[in-house]
This record gives sequence, structure tokens and C-alpha cells, in this order.
Amino acid sequence: MSPLRRHRQLTRIWQSDPGWKGWFTTVNHNDLGRMFMGTAIVFFLIGGILAMLIRAQLATPRSAFMGPEVYAQVFTMHGTIMMFLFAIPLIEGAAIYFLPKMLGARDLAFPRLTAFGYWCYVFGGSMLLFAMFAGIAPDSGWFLYPPLSSTLGSPGINSDFWLIGITFVEISAISAAVEITVTILRYRAPGMSLDKMPIFAWYLLVVALMILTGFPPLILGSVLLELERAFGWPFFQVAQGGDSLLWQHLFWLFGHPEVYIIFLPAAGVISTVLPVMARTTLLGYAWVIAAAVALGVLSFGIWVHHMFATGIPHMALAFFSAASTLVAVPTGIQIFAWLGTLWKGRPQLKLPMLWIIGFFATFVIGGLTGVMVAVVPFDWQAHDTHFVVAHMHYVLVGGFVFPFLAGLYYWMPLLTGRKRFFRLGETAFWLVFVGFHVTFLAMHWVGLLGQRRRTFTYEGGHGWEVINLISSIGGFITAIGFGLVIIDIAVNTVFAARIRRDPWRAGTLEWAMANPSPAYNFASLPRVSARDPLYDDPALPHRIARGEGYLGDAYKGQRETLVVDIATGEPLQVVVFPPNTPLPIILAFVTGGIFLGLLTKLYWMVPLSLIGVAALMALWAWGLGSRGDDVMRDVGHGLNLPRAATVPQPPGWWGSAFLLLADATFFASLIFGYAFLWTVAPNWPPPAYLEPGIIGPLVGLAGVVVAPFGIRLAERHLRRGGTMWPGVALALAGAAAMATAAIMAVRAAADPELHAYDAIIWVIAGYVLVHVALAAGMSIYATVRRYAGYVAPDRFGEVRIARLWTDYASVVALIGLAALQLPGAVT
Amino acid sequence: MIDVIRIFGPLFVWFATFSAIYGLQGLVCSEHWPALGLTLSHGRVALVGAWLVAIGIQLGLVAVLQMRRVAPATGLAGDVSIWLGWSAVVAIIWSSFPVAVTSTCG
Amino acid sequence: MTTLVLLVGCENSLSTVDPAGPAANVIATLWWIMLAGATLIFVFVMVLLALTFRRPGVADADNPVGEDGAARGREKVWLVGLGLCFPLVVLAALLAYGLVIGERLLPRDDPAVVTVHAEGRQWEWRFSYADAPDLVTENVLHIPAATPVDVRITTVDVIHSFWVPRLAGKLDALPGHENVLRIEAWKPGRYAGVSAEYNGPGFLGHRFVVIAHDAEGWSAFLTDGAP
Repeated sequence: MSPLRRHRQLTRIWQSDPGWKGWFTTVNHNDLGRMFMGTAIVFFLIGGILAMLIRAQLATPRSAFMGPEVYAQVFTMHGTIMMFLFAIPLIEGAAIYFLPKMLGARDLAFPRLTAFGYWCYVFGGSMLLFAMFAGIAPDSGWFLYPPLSSTLGSPGINSDFWLIGITFVEISAISAAVEITVTILRYRAPGMSLDKMPIFAWYLLVVALMILTGFPPLILGSVLLELERAFGWPFFQVAQGGDSLLWQHLFWLFGHPEVYIIFLPAAGVISTVLPVMARTTLLGYAWVIAAAVALGVLSFGIWVHHMFATGIPHMALAFFSAASTLVAVPTGIQIFAWLGTLWKGRPQLKLPMLWIIGFFATFVIGGLTGVMVAVVPFDWQAHDTHFVVAHMHYVLVGGFVFPFLAGLYYWMPLLTGRKRFFRLGETAFWLVFVGFHVTFLAMHWVGLLGQRRRTFTYEGGHGWEVINLISSIGGFITAIGFGLVIIDIAVNTVFAARIRRDPWRAGTLEWAMANPSPAYNFASLPRVSARDPLYDDPALPHRIARGEGYLGDAYKGQRETLVVDIATGEPLQVVVFPPNTPLPIILAFVTGGIFLGLLTKLYWMVPLSLIGVAALMALWAWGLGSRGDDVMRDVGHGLNLPRAATVPQPPGWWGSAFLLLADATFFASLIFGYAFLWTVAPNWPPPAYLEPGIIGPLVGLAGVVVAPFGIRLAERHLRRGGTMWPGVALALAGAAAMATAAIMAVRAAADPELHAYDAIIWVIAGYVLVHVALAAGMSIYATVRRYAGYVAPDRFGEVRIARLWTDYASVVALIGLAALQLPGAVT
Repeated sequence: MIDVIRIFGPLFVWFATFSAIYGLQGLVCSEHWPALGLTLSHGRVALVGAWLVAIGIQLGLVAVLQMRRVAPATGLAGDVSIWLGWSAVVAIIWSSFPVAVTSTCG
Repeated sequence: MTTLVLLVGCENSLSTVDPAGPAANVIATLWWIMLAGATLIFVFVMVLLALTFRRPGVADADNPVGEDGAARGREKVWLVGLGLCFPLVVLAALLAYGLVIGERLLPRDDPAVVTVHAEGRQWEWRFSYADAPDLVTENVLHIPAATPVDVRITTVDVIHSFWVPRLAGKLDALPGHENVLRIEAWKPGRYAGVSAEYNGPGFLGHRFVVIAHDAEGWSAFLTDGAP
């Protein structure tokens, strides 16, 4: 087959549907990555306009431009949009677009999940935009502290838009994180062992695991606060055994890792782009990986440093002050690794490098002020002033926006296939860079002069007027600069000339393909034997195009890529991806019905939508799998590999495992919240603890033992060619027993509106019930698939998935039900 | 998978022990502590004890990482995980030393 | 910048760098020391960055500079020396300094201490006095000068934060909890205070004044209820 013919055949297989329909049915990461990034930039513009409104308002004292109510919506939405609807989705989009290319795969692990996440993001984000244009946007600050954000301070629908809309958007973060993790671990080019992985992939692996463990506390907090607002379950109301501090813990358990979730991908961009700009390789690859991992995990242990002024004992503050200073160490290692890289190379002042220099100058200041606010006594003064506003903008703009702009200009040839011709970029850089520092450098000082954040105006006479005016002027210069960046990109995308392959002479695999990237990425999957494959073998792109790698034969019109061993990168299986389908957007739309029903208090919509979601998911999973025909596939070079759907741990098992990591974090946060209230909340103990009883715990315990045993029995019989029913029946009986125990606990509890303890019982029991139901559903589904021929004695992967969920349900039932009984049993 | 677990494990254990010490501090300062018939001096002893145990756990983990049974598949994972094992030892000493020096509940 | 400070009338000033009491004073000193250290570190990093351009990109730079024998030595200098040891030493010193100050600012037992109670609500503060149980003042807190004062801070509705920048750092008023902040004014005078945690549309106007009296004025206030 000639390269051109292979290109045409593969394009026909991988491209999206023609016409407008393609936008809604595409599951290709090339499309969805661009759509994610494009949508994120639209939200950046909206958030930027809000920022301009803020600076216009604060330019002069006693401005009459906005009143306090409108201003509150503006600053809340600015923070919310920039954090949740710009930064995180832009990272997801970049990861979705670039990772498969860098790793040598043709798509991400779960293409339809990518699309589903995108549509959840669009629908959830639209809810918030609707609220803003309707003038009913959230207005209690982007971290939404109750009681101000609860019914006491915000009786309107404003906070509900935040809680429900953002939770909807978080579905996209979790689903993207699951598939980024599975993709990095298992969907790589043959031979790409962990120590040959591009550094960007290491960073994204850390980030994805952080999203899986960082977002669940926020989702839990949002669920609890919405339950309080909608039904009066008093988790954060002190009079009934709640505590507003619980929200702050849950929020910052998410909120601090969030800062590093945003910074680390940017650091990954720098670690990728900077060596190329300096014509060298990254100094201390292993050190940088260790630093990224250390930064990621340490960042979880510093959440309380946002709560230094809440009156927590000094020893606790000292723990978090110490841990907060500690994160500066891995940050320092990375900074000096980059400086050392520049030192050993020959840096060239091209546009991406300019943005990286901007990053150094800005982020180092942000890091240093970060160390300052980590020192407890200083934070008592700086907290909630404009000093903190300036600090966080140095960190987030310097540490995220500048590196991503470097990355944008670096990867633009891949995205657009064109050279940069109109040289607006340099002007834009200087406008943004100078404008930014004019806006925010003096703002530190005005904070120390006592200007609080979030006041809608201020009186003259504090020495604040000049600085605020300068800040506003700087803000508008920055805005013009960002405007020029967008014009620059738009103009170049349309008018500039085509560009050759690998214009920067980089070494990573994304430059082995034509510009712009074809829908299938690689005409054949190369074997990789170095960290920079293109430096190792400059002829590699031609060999890929000539089909000399694996899977170069466009077999049966299927979308295929390889699954490899996690550590060694040796190919193990061939995966067949689903074609274009409207299923993701339909599922996202029906999922939206759940959130819309909660928001509008049309509660009948919720169960209806849930049924729809369950049906669609069954349909979704039905198309996967194999009926046993065509199990082995000759991938080339004499290698015969099984289809991924036929192995004991198919991709769905890996996806489930990492989804359960997020789920377990959610559950652990819930147990933490329960223990926190028991320890700290005033107005405990509740009027009565649950009476332990005998029957409930015994029934529950029996279920916990029987369910995992049952599903294992079913697997054993299946693999011997027998019937699954006895085992499945046992598993279902176990599930029923666990459910009974959970329902008994709820029935024994008091009304959940009376005390936070009773409300917690309802939530924990509800959580157990949901997971027991999920496990039971999967067992039944696997049995049905047996009759349809997808599950067979030599293809039992789906039973393994059901087993995973059954084991998880049993563990949470054991821990959850025991935790409910514990206080009553002890006293 | 062993490589990935080796790399993320040590600091994950740090997060668990660090949080547990924080939780213990909360308990010491809560009303449950005197209800158990204990004083703040007992609290200090318990906290310092927990700190030392945590340091022991992290040191033990470094020893485990050197064992042949959990050998990594790539040299990189071996180096990085041992460094991170030692980082976790430093981290627990550094982040929890206040148990020995600051006032417990003030 | 100093002129800016001087321009501000002392009465209204919310400046943390114009301390009028011991707590604000040690924090201001901490700030100036950290500013000096941070400036040095920033300049150091920028100089290193500038020096990397000492050999500008040359025409034959198409091929990347590969690993050479010096790589291990470089890792030692850049990563172990500058990346690991340098921050650890600086941060250990700073952390110790911060914790010592933090301990000193805690409300410790002191026979001279005067106790007052600050109750926040949307959008005013009510102050009451342990030494004069019937006395309640609104948005004006009276204290004796040159005497340590414990402010017991509570709220009846949402979260507020009690902050008199020239005297001490801020401390939150949390529903159901009572937080104690130690403040002290060196001299008699009026000191501006604000609520620092966003608490709704009336946030801007949620202000108060602390009046520090000399010994005579304080006892007059306690007996007459008026300054």
C-alpha cells in the first residue's frame, strides 16, 4: 500500500462525520481536544471581560459603576469561570489533544467518554452563563463559604447554580482524568517504557491522579451543601450539629491541590518546550519526575493554610505552615532544573522562549510571596487583602497562562498546519507581560495598606487611589495584549503559509506526523527505543508513513491502536475503538436532566433522567466486547496479539479501577467529614445515637461476606463452562442483605433535618445503597451478556469488572455501616 | 503497576500519617479527650509518640523499597521511588515536628 | 512608598506596615525581612536566567546538544545544590522564625489582661466588656492602652473576621465557635478596624473603631460608659 493510499484509507476510518453533524457525533481526540481548548478560550474571554469590569469599578474611589450586589456576582463569576471553566478544561483539552500524539497512540483510551465529558462541560458551563446573563449568578465568592452561601445568607437560586453547575462540569474533569491515566499507563508506542516516556506525560499522569483524588472532596461538599439548601439537612448549620468549618476543610482539600493541578501541566509544557528552545535535552529527567510527584502529593497536605485565620490551634497551623514551606522545595528543584537546562544548551529567543522568560520573572515572584503567606503570622495580616489577590494572580497567570501561551505558539503548527507569518505575537507578549506587572506588582502594597479583597469600592484617604488607578490601567494594557494574541492566532490560522513537519526540530513523537495532525495521528505505530525518538532516528516519520510500524494496514475499517505493558511498553493487545456516535451528547443531555431537575426543584425529572442514564449506559457498554470471532490480530512484524476486549482485565476494568479511586476518595472525605463533626462541631452529641441492635449488623455483615464470594463463584463456574446463575444469585442475595442493613439504619435514624448526625447517616447509607445497586446491576448485566455471547469461558473480563464493583460495594458497606453504629456502640 | 505504586506510595503514606497526626491533635483538643480522663500532657506524649511511629513507618517503607520482592521493572522507577521514600522521611519529620515544640491547643 | 504611608491620616489608617502595637509590629518586621530575602532570591534567579543567554543561539544549533560527561556534575550543582539544599536551608530558618513569632502572639495567661467580647453580625459589631457587664457599645471598641487585651470573637449569623491592621492580624468569627485574639495598643488613640471576610452586600460598610484610653480614660469609661 502506498503512503498516500494508506493516508486516505485511515482518514476515512478516523475522521468525523461530514458537515455540521460531525461536531455532535465526533469521538476523535483531534476534534475534541480542539473543541475543549476553543471552548475554554471562550470562557477565558468572558472571565477576562469580568476582570475588566472589576478593574473599571476599582479604578477610582466611590465609583458608581456597579453596586455591591452586581459586583458580588462579577467577582464570584470571575473566579469561578477562570478556575473551573477555563483553566481545568484548557488542561483537559491540551492533554486530550497532545497526549496520544506524544505517546504514540491513535486516540485516548475511552473516546466516547472524551466526548461525554466535553458535553457535560458545555452544558454545565452554560447553566452558569445563563445565571450570569439572567442576573442570578452565584454571589458569595468563588469558594462559597456557608452560612453566607447557604439559605441563611443566600436564599435565592444563585448558590444552587454554582453547586449544581460546577458539579456537572466536574464530571468532565473526572472522566478526563480517568482516561488520561489509563492512556498514559497503557496506550503508548511499543517499546516506550516508563523511563522513555515524554516528560509531559509524566506531569499529566501526576495531574490526572491528583484530579481523581482532589476533586471528590469538592463534589462531596457541593452535594452536602445542596442537600442543606434544598432539604434543610444541617451539615453546615451549627445549631443542629453542623459546622461551617467542615465546608472550608472540604473545599480547600480540593482547592489547594487545584492550584498544583493547574501549575503542573504548565510545568510539563515548560519541561517540553524549554529544552527544544535551548537545543538540548532536559537536565535531570528523573529528578524532575520525582519533583513533580512530590509536588503533587505534598500539595494535598497543605489545605489548612487557607484557614490560618479561623482560630484553629497554633500546633495545627504549624503543621500546615511547615508542609506549605516544604512544597517550595520540589518547585525549586524544577526551577533550577530548567535553569540548568538553559545553561547547558544554547537558548534561542523565539516567541515560545519569550513567554517562558515571562513565566520565570512572574512565577518566581508568585512563589516567593507564596512562601510569605505560608508563614502564619504574616498571613494573619495578608489574608483576604489585595496582597493575596496579587499573589494568586502571579502564581496562576505566571505559572499557568504564560507557559500555556508558550505551548500554544510552540504547538501551533500541529494545530493549524501553518507558519507564523504576521508577527503580532512579540508585541502581544510585551503588552501582556508589562501590563500584568503594572496591574499586580503594586497591588501587593495596597493589600498591605489594608485594602480588603471583594469590597465593591473604597473611600479615598488610605493611599490606595494611585495604586488602584495604575492597576486598572495595567489591566487594560494586559487585555489589549491578550486581544492581540487572539488576533495573531486567528490571522495566522487563516492566512499564513503551510509549514513543514517538525519546524522546531524537536524529538518527541507528536512531530513525527504531518501538520496539521491527521485524524489517525500515525499511519503505523512506531517502535520506540529512546526518550526523543526523532533525535534517535530522524527517518522515523517516513518509516511511519510508509507503514513500517505496527497496525499500518487499515484492517477492516476498524479504529485500532495498541495496548502496552505499563512498565516496559511491550505491546500486549489490540484495542478497537467505537466509531462516531451521537451517544455521548445524548447521554450528557439526559444527565443534564438530573442536574436541571435539582436546580429547578422539579424533582420528578431526577428519577426519570436516572432511568434514562442507566438505559443509555447499558446501550453504551453493549457495543463493546467480542463474540469470540477474530480474537487474534496480526499487528505486523510477526506479532499476533489478542483483542483487548477478550483479556481478563479489559480497558473497562482499568477505567473502573481509576474511577473507583475517585469514588473511594469521595467516600473517605465523607467519613472524614463525619469524624470531623464528631470531634469539633459544637452541639454534639446529637439527641440520640443509633442503637446498634443485633439483626441489622448481622444481616449487613453476611452481605459483605456473601456478595464477593458469589461473584467469584460465578466466575469460576463460567471459566469451567458452567452456568453463572448460582454465583450471581448469591452475589445478588449479598447485595440485598447489605441494602437491607443500610435501609434499617436509615429507618432507625431520626429525621435528617434535626441534626447533622442523622443527616450523615442518610448520606452514608445512601452511598452504600447506590454502590450495592451498581454492583448488583453489573452482575446481572454480565449474566445477560453471557447469553448474548459476549461473556464466555475464555472471555470473562466483564465478570471481573462486576467483581471489582462488588468488592468495592462490600468494603464501603462494611466501613460505612460500622461507622454509623460506632458512636452508639461506644457510649 | 508496581513501578507506579513504588513512585506514588511513599508520599501517599506521608499524607496518611500526616493527616492522622492532625486528626489526633484535633482529638486531643476536643472535649472527648478530657472525657477519656486524659490531660494535655498525655496529649503531648501521644502526639510525639505518633510522630515517632510515623517516622518509623516511613523509614520502614524505604527499607521495603530496597527489597528484591518489590523490584521495579525500570531502573528509573527504582531511583525515583527511593528518592521519594527518603523525601517522605524528611517530609514527616519536617511537617510534624511542631508536635514537639508548639503549644498544643492554644 | 513611605510618603504614601505618611499621607494617610493615622485615624483612618488600615496599614499593616504602620504598626501601633506589639503584634502588628513583629509582623511588620517579619514582612520587611521576608521582602529583603525574597528580593535577593529573585535577583539571584534572574541573574542566573540572564547568564544562560551568554552564548546566543548559533547557526549550527540545529542538532541538539546531547548528554556528555559533565551531565552528572551539572545535576549535582543545579539540582542538589541549588534545587534541594538552598531552599531547604532558607525555608527551615524562615519556618522557625515564623513559628516563634506565632507562639509569642498567642493569647497566653497574663494577670494584666483585659477581656472584651466582639460579636459580629450583618453588618455591625457589638462589643461588651468583662469589667463592666452591663456595658455594650456598637461599632466602637474601647480598650486600655499599653495593656494586653483579649478579644473574644463570635458571630450571630455568617462568618466575619475581626481585623485592626495597626494592632494585630485578623481572626475569624465563626458560628458556634469563640476565637480569642490578643491585641494591644502602645499609645492612646483611635485605630480603624474592618471585617475582613466577605459577608454580603453590606461588607464595605462593616467597619468599627478601636479607641485606646489612658488609665484614667479607661476607668472613666468603665464607670460612666462614656469616654
